[in-house]
Amino acid sequence: MFIQIEPTSEIPIYTQLANQLIELIASGTIKPSEALPSVRSLAADLGVNMHTVNKAYHELEKKNIIEIIPKSGAVINSISPKGPSDMQLDLIKLHLKPLIAESIVYGMDKEQILSITSSIISEITEG
Amino acid sequence: MALSIFLAIILFLIVMQAAIPYLLKNTVVFGVTIPEGHTDDKTLAMYKKIYSATIFILGSIGLLVYVVWALGNQVQEDKIVFTGLALQFGILLISMGLYLYFHIKTMKRKRMHKWGDNLKRVRVADLTSRSNDEMLPSLMFALPVPITLGLIVYTAIQYGAMPDMIPIHWGPDGQPDAFSEKTPFSVIALLLILAIMQVMMLAINYFTKKSGVRLNASKRSTSRIQQLSFRKYTSWLLFLVSISMTVLMGFFQLTTIHENLGGATLMMVMPLGFLFIILIATAVYAFKVGQGGSRVQLEIDEEPIAGVTDYDDDAYWKAGVFYVNKNDPSIFVEKRFGVGWTLNFGNPIGYLIIIGPMLVILTISFLLN
Repeated sequence: MFIQIEPTSEIPIYTQLANQLIELIASGTIKPSEALPSVRSLAADLGVNMHTVNKAYHELEKKNIIEIIPKSGAVINSISPKGPSDMQLDLIKLHLKPLIAESIVYGMDKEQILSITSSIISEITEG
Repeated sequence: MALSIFLAIILFLIVMQAAIPYLLKNTVVFGVTIPEGHTDDKTLAMYKKIYSATIFILGSIGLLVYVVWALGNQVQEDKIVFTGLALQFGILLISMGLYLYFHIKTMKRKRMHKWGDNLKRVRVADLTSRSNDEMLPSLMFALPVPITLGLIVYTAIQYGAMPDMIPIHWGPDGQPDAFSEKTPFSVIALLLILAIMQVMMLAINYFTKKSGVRLNASKRSTSRIQQLSFRKYTSWLLFLVSISMTVLMGFFQLTTIHENLGGATLMMVMPLGFLFIILIATAVYAFKVGQGGSRVQLEIDEEPIAGVTDYDDDAYWKAGVFYVNKNDPSIFVEKRFGVGWTLNFGNPIGYLIIIGPMLVILTISFLLN
């Protein structure tokens, strides 16, 4: 269960961290009801400010992916059997739209976008 | 007696100082981060050789001259002690000078050849490392403290029967050679110092446990095992020091209360045994574990991941030895040149843990004289 961040990247560290944690949850490497390391220890392991890790955890909590329980720490929520909520769906559409638009501008057709999407899905779920 | 003790200590110092470059991870050479792919550089290997050989040869010559001088001239013991200490400082100064020289040369070489410029610099953490950490629980370091408190109570009970002059310093033969007048403070001063050191070691264990587990970005699984071994054995060594110090100083306290306890032989053997145990344990630890567990032998031979290398945090390492990083919550970090932990000088708690107890111990020693 390795996490890798690139401190000199343009993407803020907390976003990199949140993205990687989401990926580990999506791939099933971290399972529901498991706890993430404490903010202090993960920050120490990565040698980054505690606020950075805290921000990533709160980002995930805001998205309802984890729950921050006093004393037990950050616990992974189980994946809802009802699928995404309307709000989550809207958010995903909002984030996908500019990316798809950008793909079209680069000259990609529907086939190509779908094939990339499906290969990314298998990359995540098959590890 | 003093001469043979100094002989052992100085020999130990020379071997350890000369061996340091070979006890380290190959990704940090003379305090400089070396990116993956350049760790086997021939020039760096030569720097290490020159460093070790110089210290070994100069140290051996110094030691030889010292022994011949001490044996040949019927020198007084305090002169042997003083010169022995001076020789140790000399060896350390030479090591530091050589280190700085090669630190600068290594930095220049890295910059000139643009090592690692085409690699992605990353930091890696393992989410499960904490649950696999086998460092001793800090509670174990609290175990010797009640012994000290018990001895303080026992001393208080025996106060009336104690001699008028309380020993505060012991010579190389284990016999007291400096005394202080008997007061309620002077009779327990030694135990107070012991208690402070016990608490300090407890604090060191507690905070090193919280410090970061640093993995090598291109060799994750190997470095993970090595890191965890390093953490485990470092806390074992610290515990051994805490226990043996308690035994030694507790013994001295008892001989102060009951003057004929143990006799002259035991008085001599105890500190020597202590010194022997600590030197042997440190040497085994340094050569078997090595810095960050770099000398721990593993069965797996991991292929380095291509295209990535460790994030270069040289900027936080002043002269390659002092770590100053306000953002890093780790209070202790692994040394870059040496085996064990060093302070993150960007964090004030660290100063408190190390410098606070030192000041108190110094104050106690000062009040006794």
